[in-house]
Amino acid sequence: MKMKLLGTAVLSAAMAVGVAGQVQADDFPTKPLTLVVGWGAGGSTDIQARVLANVLEEELGQPVNVVNQPGAGGGVALARLANSTDEGYTFVFGTSMTITFGPLSTETTYGLDDFRYVAGVTLGQSAIVTGEDRPFGDSWEDLVAYAQENPGTSYANQTALDRMIIEYIAQREGLDLRIVPTSGGAGMAPLILSGDVDFAYSGGTHSGYAETGEMPVLLSLAEDRLVAYPDAPTLQEAGYDINAAEIRVAMVPKDTPDAHVERLAEALKAATQDERFIEVTEERILMPVTWMPEEEVTQTLRDQVEGYKALLEELGGLPEDE
Amino acid sequence: MIGFDAILNSFAAALHYESIAIILGGVLLGYIVGVIPGLNRAVAIAIAIPLTFYMSAYAAIAFLIGLSKGTAAGSAVSAILLNTPGEPSSAATCLDGYPMASSGKPRKALKVGLLASVIGDLLATLLLIAVAIPFASVALKFGPYELAAILIFALVFIAGMAGGSFLKGLAAGGMGVILGTVGLDPETGAMRLTFGFAELMEGVPILPLVIGTLALAEMFVQLDEYRRNKDASVIKLGKNADDDLSYQEFKGTLPTIFKSTGVGAFVGALPGLGPSVGAFMAYGLAKRSAKDPDSFGKGNPNGIAAAEASDNAVIPASYIPLFGLGIPGSVSAALLVGAFMIHGIQVGPLMLRDHPEMLFTLFSGMIVASLLMLAVGWYGLRIFARVTSVPPHIVISVVIFLCLAGIQVQGYGTFGLVTVFVFAIFGYFLKKFDYSFVTFLVAFIVTPMLEMNLRQSVILSGGEFSILLERPIALAFVVFTVLMVLHLGWTSYRRWMQARHKAKQV
Amino acid sequence: MTDMPRKNFWSGLGVAALAVMLLTWIIPTYGGSGFAFGMQPQRLATLGAWLILGCSIVLTVVSAIALKRRGESIVATPDLGHLWHQAWPFLYVLGFIVLIDRFPLTWVAPLLIGGLLLLLGERRWYVVVLTAAIPTAGLYGLTAHLMRIGVV
Repeated sequence: MKMKLLGTAVLSAAMAVGVAGQVQADDFPTKPLTLVVGWGAGGSTDIQARVLANVLEEELGQPVNVVNQPGAGGGVALARLANSTDEGYTFVFGTSMTITFGPLSTETTYGLDDFRYVAGVTLGQSAIVTGEDRPFGDSWEDLVAYAQENPGTSYANQTALDRMIIEYIAQREGLDLRIVPTSGGAGMAPLILSGDVDFAYSGGTHSGYAETGEMPVLLSLAEDRLVAYPDAPTLQEAGYDINAAEIRVAMVPKDTPDAHVERLAEALKAATQDERFIEVTEERILMPVTWMPEEEVTQTLRDQVEGYKALLEELGGLPEDE
Repeated sequence: MIGFDAILNSFAAALHYESIAIILGGVLLGYIVGVIPGLNRAVAIAIAIPLTFYMSAYAAIAFLIGLSKGTAAGSAVSAILLNTPGEPSSAATCLDGYPMASSGKPRKALKVGLLASVIGDLLATLLLIAVAIPFASVALKFGPYELAAILIFALVFIAGMAGGSFLKGLAAGGMGVILGTVGLDPETGAMRLTFGFAELMEGVPILPLVIGTLALAEMFVQLDEYRRNKDASVIKLGKNADDDLSYQEFKGTLPTIFKSTGVGAFVGALPGLGPSVGAFMAYGLAKRSAKDPDSFGKGNPNGIAAAEASDNAVIPASYIPLFGLGIPGSVSAALLVGAFMIHGIQVGPLMLRDHPEMLFTLFSGMIVASLLMLAVGWYGLRIFARVTSVPPHIVISVVIFLCLAGIQVQGYGTFGLVTVFVFAIFGYFLKKFDYSFVTFLVAFIVTPMLEMNLRQSVILSGGEFSILLERPIALAFVVFTVLMVLHLGWTSYRRWMQARHKAKQV
Repeated sequence: MTDMPRKNFWSGLGVAALAVMLLTWIIPTYGGSGFAFGMQPQRLATLGAWLILGCSIVLTVVSAIALKRRGESIVATPDLGHLWHQAWPFLYVLGFIVLIDRFPLTWVAPLLIGGLLLLLGERRWYVVVLTAAIPTAGLYGLTAHLMRIGVV
């Protein structure tokens, strides 16, 4: 559709190519690239992707256009990428949850094996959080004890994944929770701050409250303890064998040539050392920049999927599966 | 939470030349739109939203606010020179503006209108800033019960106040609610009313809906009416020496301006009433409290001042519930919510906490917009007087094109074009049969928020209504809502009985 | 204003029919299902539909009574010419939507604007050409710009 609209603007595209210069004859990339973001403009993934695109543009010597294809928690973008024959000229920058848990919780036209994972560049900081002055304080053990004695303790969920995790925990600890849906950090924060909900899932909103202490973290859902809350244990440390760590990855369709993947990976590696990318990620989005090469990310994602499958079996399927 | 320094910084940001240029662009465009009869504020904002997509969030919102303020001031020009209000809300300005202009003092009339507009707007903006922040810090403590109750109250209130029949208003609100539930269910993830379209998964896309029901539908209505109104006579600005506004005369209108600003700000802060009501209320009040009520309607500057001050004061005041509670009380506020959403910001009390610099920069931007309005109006007097004579068929053709182009540039594709068309038909019927599209639009926009809060309330309370007893604010709003429905039902019933009575006598 | 009761009657009837259709067919079939702790996925849409149904029935009944009191007939044959007058802009735009779907908007736009101007009785050629050309040029500039800064 867009191409039709721009039929007459080809001229300017040609100009853009000319400006970028440095076109290497038979070397990837020889034309502009498209970085697809599976979320709306203005979100943290989008903010990060736009800086990433700028850096990649310099590394690759070709314009990198950012396109938002929001929908289904990043799923719409992946469904389209799976059918792309663009050999790496179109790639998605998104969160691992879309590819690991998405196909398990909803019907999707894609699966883990439909993509290659060029690299992981950022570690998510999701967590289970609570508010100030709660009867159980800010320790996970006390919360569990409190919830065991008080049926109807409330939990605000945001995604199907955190819902599964909390249901698993509830089952193991024998809790009777009231699970309240919310949308995003903006929906969760008022519930926690006003005290209407006892504890909640948070994708990253809590990082902004680290200084004031208004949103203590009970559990880290990342692989390690959170940067801003080093006192809160991880899921594993609390005794739950779940790896729910979110990684921000760049993905291409599975039949992308090796040379293209390598070139992209090289550029991404350079981006993780670029000041602008580090600044926007660590200071604005408050997540640590990392570098995970293809094999490592792919293995981690595969392990996560296996872990989730096992969890789902233990839970007897999700309530969503009708 | 936020220091004086931060406020100063935000003001400095608003005074940056880039941001001034953007606000100026918005005000200028708004002024032109306001001047052209038939192009109204809602149409302009609807087709400007796609333009702002590639600006930063602050620039986009500042542009749109400038635009909406500009329309309110610009509409006075055509009301005065053409006797046709550029916006429906300037109808009251015609009453004295046109007689004064036709008696050979168009420049004076325009200047009174402009000064009243700017003062009304500026004072109401200051009020917004003074009220919204304490309001928002209280509102931050509201939980799902309070928000659900307030949202329901606001919807019923808008349905009742937005003009036309209460029944039809509620029905239009119902349609907005149904359309608002389209998409993934927030709790179960079930697909609702998507009919298998992946595009509908995140809900009905707001831009095609808005452009369809507001802009394109309005153009169809205008095409329908085009053959009826042709060639109104435009009053030209002459070089008459005594056709200017003296300081004495201006001072004479000041009390009226202050009073009318108060009326407008009050009306604006209540959701649903809108600037027309404000302008006529202020006009009525000025006439009643004047020493020479007979001179009203014959070119009394106080008449123009009252109508314009109040008309312009309504706009910033209508953002009080928007920034304070996240509830849009007018069409332009509802459109702003849409623009905020597109830029990934949830408007409402949380803005004060999450994006305080944005909020303060916006407020500063609004003050800058008021001042720019004065400059634009003052120096552009002569040019805008000419714009009044742009013929409607050119406006209609270009706007239809802009509607389609806006959707296309956004990349909605064929799906978007069809959606726009369907909603244009829908909006056309809403307008033709006089169903309140304010209620429809506001209901559509707040439904996701309403549904989420209702759900949370139901789950948290375990389905027991007695929880309301522990929540006095929520309870109060539930009671208000019931009283409101009873009151509105009773007045419509009485009006109907009176009409029947009259019909019998005839 | 005099035909308001009749308008209300027919629109009320139409809206009521729509609400019945929503309640009996569309919402139960497409409204989504699933187990929920709070509200069923269909709950709010159903409430909205009932609200519409209630309001429109009252509206229909009230306006029917008003029509009867005044001794006016419920049916007024619409003027065919008037109907056509109202309908052609929709068909015009629909036709161009089909065209936009096939061809780039920058090609179609001058025809869209120019054609409508001619239909509306504009005969000064320079007005037609300028009005058609300027917005199209603007669109072209915008798409070219967007392409260059790498958004689209």
